[in-house]
Amino acid sequence: MNNTNIYKPIKSKLLEVIEESPTIKTFVLKPEHNFNFHTGQFVELVVDGVGEAPFTPSSSPLIKDRIDITVMQTGYVTERLHQMKGGETLGIRGPYGRGYPLEKLYDKEVLILGGGCGFAPLRSLLYNLEAEQERVKKVTFCYGSKSPQECIYEPYIDELRNIPKFEVMRTVDEADESWTEQVGVATVLLDKIDVNIDDSVAVVVGPPIMMKFSVQKLLEMGYPEHNIYLSMEKNMSCGLGKCGHCMMGEYFVCKDGPVFSYDEIKDKPDIWK
Amino acid sequence: MNKYYSLTRHDWEKSLANLINDFGIYAPLFYGEQQDYELIEAESIPHIVYNQPKPATPLKTFFMPVEENVVHIEPPPRRKIILGIPSCDLEAANIQDEMYLNRDYVDPVYKKNRDACILIGTDCHSIQEHCHCTTYGIKPYPQSNHDLTLSLFGGVIYLYTHSEKGAELIKEMEKHTTFHEPTENEIQSLLDKRKEVEEWLNHNNQGLPDYRKTGELVNQSNQEIWKKYSETCVSCGACATICPTCTCFLLMERPGFEKVRHLDACQYPGFEKVAAGEDPLSPLHKRFYNRYMCKYVWKPQKFESTACTGCGRCIEACIGNINKNELFMELANH
Repeated sequence: MNNTNIYKPIKSKLLEVIEESPTIKTFVLKPEHNFNFHTGQFVELVVDGVGEAPFTPSSSPLIKDRIDITVMQTGYVTERLHQMKGGETLGIRGPYGRGYPLEKLYDKEVLILGGGCGFAPLRSLLYNLEAEQERVKKVTFCYGSKSPQECIYEPYIDELRNIPKFEVMRTVDEADESWTEQVGVATVLLDKIDVNIDDSVAVVVGPPIMMKFSVQKLLEMGYPEHNIYLSMEKNMSCGLGKCGHCMMGEYFVCKDGPVFSYDEIKDKPDIWK
Repeated sequence: MNKYYSLTRHDWEKSLANLINDFGIYAPLFYGEQQDYELIEAESIPHIVYNQPKPATPLKTFFMPVEENVVHIEPPPRRKIILGIPSCDLEAANIQDEMYLNRDYVDPVYKKNRDACILIGTDCHSIQEHCHCTTYGIKPYPQSNHDLTLSLFGGVIYLYTHSEKGAELIKEMEKHTTFHEPTENEIQSLLDKRKEVEEWLNHNNQGLPDYRKTGELVNQSNQEIWKKYSETCVSCGACATICPTCTCFLLMERPGFEKVRHLDACQYPGFEKVAAGEDPLSPLHKRFYNRYMCKYVWKPQKFESTACTGCGRCIEACIGNINKNELFMELANH
């Protein structure tokens, strides 16, 4: 924990707001003091006097003095966030929960499947794997979005494509004349990948419906349940396993997750809702 | 430590009159048919209710008030003595402590409130219609989480120390009053009374499935029974907010990066709703079922303490007349 009162946020200066798509912005923050997190852990981002919401940072966990949080405009907290400008002050609580199991990805062919704003937490993982690329055999990143305009982190995609061990494939539900990559829902990319499943671990992050069909497909392809990792989206309010809003069976998603292997959660109620 | 003391009711009341100068003393008082904890003043001392279950609000509200700022933490104004706590509420503090004082994240507000209280538990010498603590393995007299036990029996107040804090309070009282050592016969009478009430509870709740069976019954049930029992539920959340073991809360922002915590209930619509719109507990019967799964299946998997102490408040508080014990009888009989 970064401070003593578990409910008190760390004040953070908003350095810059980057427009990633018509509905998604990245907020670059400088916390009052260095902030450590493990990739896949989340924070509560506090808009003073308005509310707070859980987000997994999209920046590298190796950077301690700055944190990027990429946010899709969805509810009243994110609506106010999207109106904010550089120079304003936000709060951060956390980091909370269990992130991506890096140790399970080492020496493996890592398949990463992201949908929509699910790229945000995955960018943090990709940065981490990029810095430790000698420890993985290969990284295949599949990304699906609604449209070319909704595809985020365009410059980073180009960067990733220049790393020899990394392969990037993208698809959009609806293409326009400028689009040269795949068309269709995210799972169509799984038909195109070249991965040795017996030596591979998959990580899936995206909207619930996308995760549901991706898991189905990965199971059909032969991925064992324990080698499919998901970052679950529930109403994580306190982040401390106390307030009860994110319960999924006996799990507090905020504390026991948000990253779970599929075998841990497959029998829990309403995992895709 | 762990010693019996006795004094006349008159001396006890005189002693309380001295203690109210140094402590905020809360004890049950009757108003109408109900009793509840009130801040005791000199004139209310003779009206304190002894050994009768149970205050309308559970002990947890002293540790988790309905609303409290969790960032700007006020120091407790003065030490509190909570007097007349039934065993069901003291046992309920176990799961509250597991939740709020766990080693990963100690809740500073809960800890502050908990530490500021001296807890005086009381034997139940009578029972209410829906009391069923013994079904869940709880005795109708204090066993844990208290500093002193108190009983009024035959016009005499008996105290039994359970902790350092309790022994210190006895020392404090000794400045103004003289305690006696109860005879073996007097102690035996207290123990006989305990046995009598325990048997009364067991008799009243014959056939009600105990805590070892409730989880299995809920887990194996079909949705029809939850639809049936939730028909009259109006999602008021009374069952959860009045429950001594329910812990859920809602955080609300205040300007200046402050936060206020409110007691919350999983029976309110939108409890698990996320901003993107998914709401797994949207149907009423699912919310209703969720509360039973939480108490009797999931919490027992995750915590060592029981998540229901058989106090019966959820039955008394329900404006839809939903009776959890009837539900369990039906589950057990099918």
